[in-house]
Amino acid sequence: MLKILCCIKQVPDVNLVKIDPETGSLIRQGVPSILNPLDTNALEAAVSVKEQLGGEVTCITMGPDMAEEALRECLAAGADHAVLLSDRAFANADTLATSYVICSAARQLGQFDLIFCGKESLDGATGQMASQLAERFDASLLSGVLNICDICEEQKTVLAERELENGIEKTEATLPCLITVEKTNFHPRIPNLKSWKNSRTAEILRFNSHTIPELDPSQIGDPGSPTKVPRTYPPEVGESGLILQEGSPEKDVDRLFSLLKDVL
Amino acid sequence: MAKYNKLTQVVAEELQAIVGKQRFSAGDSIKPDYAHDEMPIYGKVLPEAVCLAESTEEIAAIMKVCSREKIPVTVRGAGTGLVGGCVPVCGGIVLSTEKMNRILEYDMRNLCVRIQPGVLLCDLAADALAHGVMYPPDPGEKTATVGGNVSTNAGGMRAVKYGVTRDYVLAMTVVLPSGEVIQLGKSVCKTSSGYNLLHLMIGSEGTLGIITELTLKLIPKPEKDVTLMLPFHDIATAIAAVPSIKLANLDPQSIEFAERDVIDSSAEFTGNHIFPTVVNGKEAGAYILVTLVGNSEQELVPKMDRLGKIAEQTGAYDTLVIWTDTLKKDVWAARSAFLTVIEAQSKLLDEMDVVVPVDKIAPFLVFVHEQADQYGVYIKSFGHAGDGNLHIYCCSNDLEEDEFKKRVKKLMDASYAKCAEFGGQVSGEHAIGHAKKQYLRESVGETVYGLMTQIKTVFDPDAILNPGKVCHDLEGGAESC
Repeated sequence: MLKILCCIKQVPDVNLVKIDPETGSLIRQGVPSILNPLDTNALEAAVSVKEQLGGEVTCITMGPDMAEEALRECLAAGADHAVLLSDRAFANADTLATSYVICSAARQLGQFDLIFCGKESLDGATGQMASQLAERFDASLLSGVLNICDICEEQKTVLAERELENGIEKTEATLPCLITVEKTNFHPRIPNLKSWKNSRTAEILRFNSHTIPELDPSQIGDPGSPTKVPRTYPPEVGESGLILQEGSPEKDVDRLFSLLKDVL
Repeated sequence: MAKYNKLTQVVAEELQAIVGKQRFSAGDSIKPDYAHDEMPIYGKVLPEAVCLAESTEEIAAIMKVCSREKIPVTVRGAGTGLVGGCVPVCGGIVLSTEKMNRILEYDMRNLCVRIQPGVLLCDLAADALAHGVMYPPDPGEKTATVGGNVSTNAGGMRAVKYGVTRDYVLAMTVVLPSGEVIQLGKSVCKTSSGYNLLHLMIGSEGTLGIITELTLKLIPKPEKDVTLMLPFHDIATAIAAVPSIKLANLDPQSIEFAERDVIDSSAEFTGNHIFPTVVNGKEAGAYILVTLVGNSEQELVPKMDRLGKIAEQTGAYDTLVIWTDTLKKDVWAARSAFLTVIEAQSKLLDEMDVVVPVDKIAPFLVFVHEQADQYGVYIKSFGHAGDGNLHIYCCSNDLEEDEFKKRVKKLMDASYAKCAEFGGQVSGEHAIGHAKKQYLRESVGETVYGLMTQIKTVFDPDAILNPGKVCHDLEGGAESC
């Protein structure tokens, strides 16, 4: 039976986030939090593997209490277990500290054969978690997976198609393996009523900095994060373009030349 | 003999002086979009001038000139209509309200908002929510102007629970064809005060007067909502479930249906695959979407359970729960894209917006599909299952336009006759314009049609407002203008 881990993150809906022009910080107040969209594709891949080959999917996240809602969304969409790592000591973690905490907690749950991650998060968008986690789990890494072609539990191998810049590569890797997926073939499912209702009352396993054994305080939260963010600021937006609608192509061209003439 | 006068240079200068040079165009400088709406098969006619008005006073001044000179005036919002309503079939001027797009004032104590008619529906809806209230009418075309919605009495997806645009108009300012300004209605919820001209103006498609300001009713914003998707084998089974849903005391906000081929087209075009095509191993052929609203999750769950039981009893393949904002956004984005997708994938397009009793939706669709097969066109349809309002698009990618029009005319003649036989209405929310006049006349009969034309004459004796539309006939056709 395959043991599958899916790492997810709750993020602010960045489409609705504004940046304080004076402080340069994100204004998160009143902005709804959502399950990171690319994580929904990873979860779908994980649940599909479970449905085809048997096994169980555990979703794990580090975040505040409200991240529980994102985990319940995962349970509704087919995950069997959910784990929330929440502690004020975890705050201000960069990817290095986060991957350390996730891996330390996941070890308490046994040995995972497959670990799925979204390609990147909507907010930080570093895309670093997958490779860091693969290293910490001592797992092989298949990134940008389009299709999972075969998993052989006896041989402990996974065969997958990966998207490259100039084509598709078919690669075999050994288990345990960490997989990040492209969204093309893993469309998130809509949960059914039974699954959704179960998810609303399901137990969520919680860990904090004291209940994860042998956690090194110097490797978590702010002290464990070498990445510092001195400033956050919105990208400069150029002037919007001008659409010429003068009534005919000839008139559009005349107007265009007239505008160019003014510029030159 | 021409009934209307052409725009002379002198009159053009007079109109230009009212709105200013920047908001006036004439002759070759008129943008081609002003010649048509979103259903160009109903004709493209360029006006002689376009005025972008910014105030009631400007519109009153324009109407005084046009009334004096007997120049036709066609009012236009965002041009998103589907029946040729804003096409200036007799030339004259197009009077656009697109610049009158300000939300003027919220009155939270009386739950209403005062706006200019050119405010876009999407802007009003979002702004109201930001103020903690909701403007309930929710027609599919979110970039229509609210003035256009009022002029067509648009309905939309939430009509099952909240009613249509008419139910949210408390008062309006209107400029009559003479240029006189009148106020209709008050910011109160009841009236028994003579003939209700406010409601006569709503749905009159710019043929009686020009709406220049609106006071609209708002409601408190519901705290929670959830949409449940019920996939079925086919449209007949899906529609057969609707009466049970309506009888279950769920008070749904909307009950929508979509056929599988529209879903497939939408997924192919937008890349949004949110509608599952195979559910529990079975191919879905049609879908019902039910949206429930309430003040808490606890309030919604028993209703969801009841709907789940109905789904089981009526043969739905499953009951799927669209709870998260992300899923809601994806599902409703797919739903809102239906018309855009159909337009993009069809070279030639015509539409029907009939309303039939709910139990007649499926037989009506079967009839239309049979007609389409007979005449060699194809059908795409979706609509509001809860109120029987169907959006049926007749499409072709290989016929010549004249041949397409001939065939679709026969299909429409038969379909509107079938609609009448089923006790239906010609239009649920897209209105009449000049495209559906014949069917309106056949549907209501000569006496009622005659009363409508007399009402038009009372308001607009020279018939300068949107001539040739709804119930106004151009003797000798558009050439006689």
